[in-house]
Amino acid sequence: MSDSETAPTDHAPVSRRGFLGVTGAGVAGASLLDMLAARQAPAQLKGTSLRILTWSHFIPAYDAWLDDFAKKWGDQNGVRVRIDHIPHLELPARFASEFAAGAGHDLMQMNGQIFTGQYYRHLMDLTDTADTLEKKYGKWMESSKSAGQVQGRWYAIPDFYIAIPMLWRKDLFDSVGVSNPQTWEDFRKAARLLKPKGHPTGMQFSHCNDANHNWRALLYSFGAKETDPSGQNIELDSKETREALRFAKAMFDEGMTAEVFSWDDASDNRYLASGVACWIHDAISAFRTTEDTNPAVFKNTYMLPEAAGPGGLRWNVGEPVIWAAWKFSKNPQGAKDFVVAIVDAQKEAMLASRGYNMPFLRDHYKKPMPGLGNDAKLAVLQEQDKVTAFFGYPGPMSPPAQEVLTTFLIPDMFTRVARGGPIEDVMKLFIGEMRRVYAKHKTG
Amino acid sequence: MAGSGSRGRSARLAVAVGGRVGVVPWWRTPTARRYLFGYTLLAPAVLYVSLLVGAPFLFSLYLAMSDATVGDPVAQFVGLENFRAALESTMFYVALRNTLVFTIGAGILKGLLGTTLAFLLLQPFTGRKVVRALLVIPFTLPIAISVLGWKWMFDSQFSVINWALSRLHLIGAWGSPDWPVWLGQPHLALASVMFVNVWRGFPFSAIVLLAGLTSVPPEVIDAAKVDGASFMQRFSKVIVPMIAPILFIGTAFDTVFTLSDLSIVYLLTNGGPDGATEILPTLAYNVGIRAGALGRGAAISLFLFPLLLPGMIVLLRTLRRRQD
Repeated sequence: MSDSETAPTDHAPVSRRGFLGVTGAGVAGASLLDMLAARQAPAQLKGTSLRILTWSHFIPAYDAWLDDFAKKWGDQNGVRVRIDHIPHLELPARFASEFAAGAGHDLMQMNGQIFTGQYYRHLMDLTDTADTLEKKYGKWMESSKSAGQVQGRWYAIPDFYIAIPMLWRKDLFDSVGVSNPQTWEDFRKAARLLKPKGHPTGMQFSHCNDANHNWRALLYSFGAKETDPSGQNIELDSKETREALRFAKAMFDEGMTAEVFSWDDASDNRYLASGVACWIHDAISAFRTTEDTNPAVFKNTYMLPEAAGPGGLRWNVGEPVIWAAWKFSKNPQGAKDFVVAIVDAQKEAMLASRGYNMPFLRDHYKKPMPGLGNDAKLAVLQEQDKVTAFFGYPGPMSPPAQEVLTTFLIPDMFTRVARGGPIEDVMKLFIGEMRRVYAKHKTG
Repeated sequence: MAGSGSRGRSARLAVAVGGRVGVVPWWRTPTARRYLFGYTLLAPAVLYVSLLVGAPFLFSLYLAMSDATVGDPVAQFVGLENFRAALESTMFYVALRNTLVFTIGAGILKGLLGTTLAFLLLQPFTGRKVVRALLVIPFTLPIAISVLGWKWMFDSQFSVINWALSRLHLIGAWGSPDWPVWLGQPHLALASVMFVNVWRGFPFSAIVLLAGLTSVPPEVIDAAKVDGASFMQRFSKVIVPMIAPILFIGTAFDTVFTLSDLSIVYLLTNGGPDGATEILPTLAYNVGIRAGALGRGAAISLFLFPLLLPGMIVLLRTLRRRQD
């Protein structure tokens, strides 16, 4: 913007200040492009150190790759890189303590729980980095922007999201005549027919991450919305929500057992790998676990990006993973450069994660996608960006949406209905709770 | 410096006039010196409590009365608004009810089991020292490891408890209607988290009680026996009154630990399903840290304070009366 304001025109004389500004910007831009092309940071990074905070990935091989990548990047650029992996549920407490202390990691990864809205005043503005990456790799997924943006500025860079597709047993589905399941109704029917044969299904009615994703996916695919697009007004009180709740209750009664009330994030993985489940709704780590532990079941396990609701809508609810850096970071340039490097290495990252890390940038969806495109079963995920939404949909991943997520209001609403609670009473209770949360954030 | 000079002059003066009491400064009187010595000895403890307990408490009070968030700790004063917000939420009442059930239920069980165990360990038998040493294992194991072990034992599909019960024909096979889902059925889930708390805590109760029991002189017990007192009479009329101070302190500690126990519930159920095991510490953590609403999270956690305060006051006053 400033370039166009100060750039000389045919009718204006070229001032010394204007000339220096334009040429300076040109040199800086060219240097940045050279730097990106060479995957090498400028000389001022040499001798610095970079501390990175990230989660322990569900695919351990990815952590090994990331550690190795960071080491090589550090060696190339003369930067001492240290990566700390901690369980993802412990990240929020770590962010809070680092912020309170005003010291900590130079770069941190937010996983599933997005705190950009809470911390943006104290995070580095990464708009230039986001813009650079967008120019290089195409548009950011529209639904992902609220993970990194506040008031139009980028304070975090989306790295990848975790897709939560349908994983279904073809042999079992074929045995009951549901050969090409596409809709939630198809999956309900299969579960109804297969439960008496010892192959029920299951989705968590409990306080875990998967419960938050799975019931939201059903809800959104039925056309229900948590808020309006601005994220200011709750729109959950709708006939679509009622229909989704009715459907969930029927699906639980017909096709699940009471075990689902106690499940955690890994229970459905085990359910599939044990050969019991006819289908589950989970990240592809469940697919990989089954591949490693039960080849016979794995052979018959297929994937669908998401089941369609009654109106044909498909919304898969992904788990976003983003990078952010404190303003008090001791190595802001190193943090930025590392993020650029990691996005540049998206293909290698996808391979290392065995197709788990789904990209946020459009050009990374060019087929065949690494880790997915060459696998007949996984190839269906190559257009996952078109069916992916995130919590709060269609509103942003804002602080109140985050509180609704972390207090499990949506899964609890489904749980209470599954246990026989009257839909109207349950909706009144939980939507009332949501309204209180949003009202507190408005006044607070 | 001026002061020390003055003290020197006073001392010289006192010698010169032959021991007149009036010239000795008040801080050099024996009483003042005793007080000074006492307070000096007490100062590290007071400083320690002020810094490590008082300051965080005051800070959480400040947070609870502000609209602070994780990203904005310098916030505006909102009075009792956060407490009002908690009282308006249905989830808060669920958590409060569960907290009381959890604390009182687990406390009673730990008391009963701890007492029984302490008396058993008091009896002479071969290997008593080894058993006493083994007893502290649940209490000394890292909580995350032991709770994850219990998570597996309560697993809906692979529970070793269910497997054993099934082999004993006390329940049906997996998939049958009487197959317990320990962490999934609301009452069972609360009972399960309480059970783990009891498992972990009752050795502590037993050890505290054992320490008290061994301090009771055997002659006193023998005298009660000679007088014809039954076991229960000896326990309630002789032993309990004698070890009451230890019991009070043990109860106070255990209540505080149980009421503020976040780890067991967080790792086993995270308050689910549908709030069946939600307690005030998990709700406070999820609202204050995971959702970032520090002020409201602090307010929820401070509801523990008025719950604890009357109990602690009664305990400490009783203890002081007994000492007097």
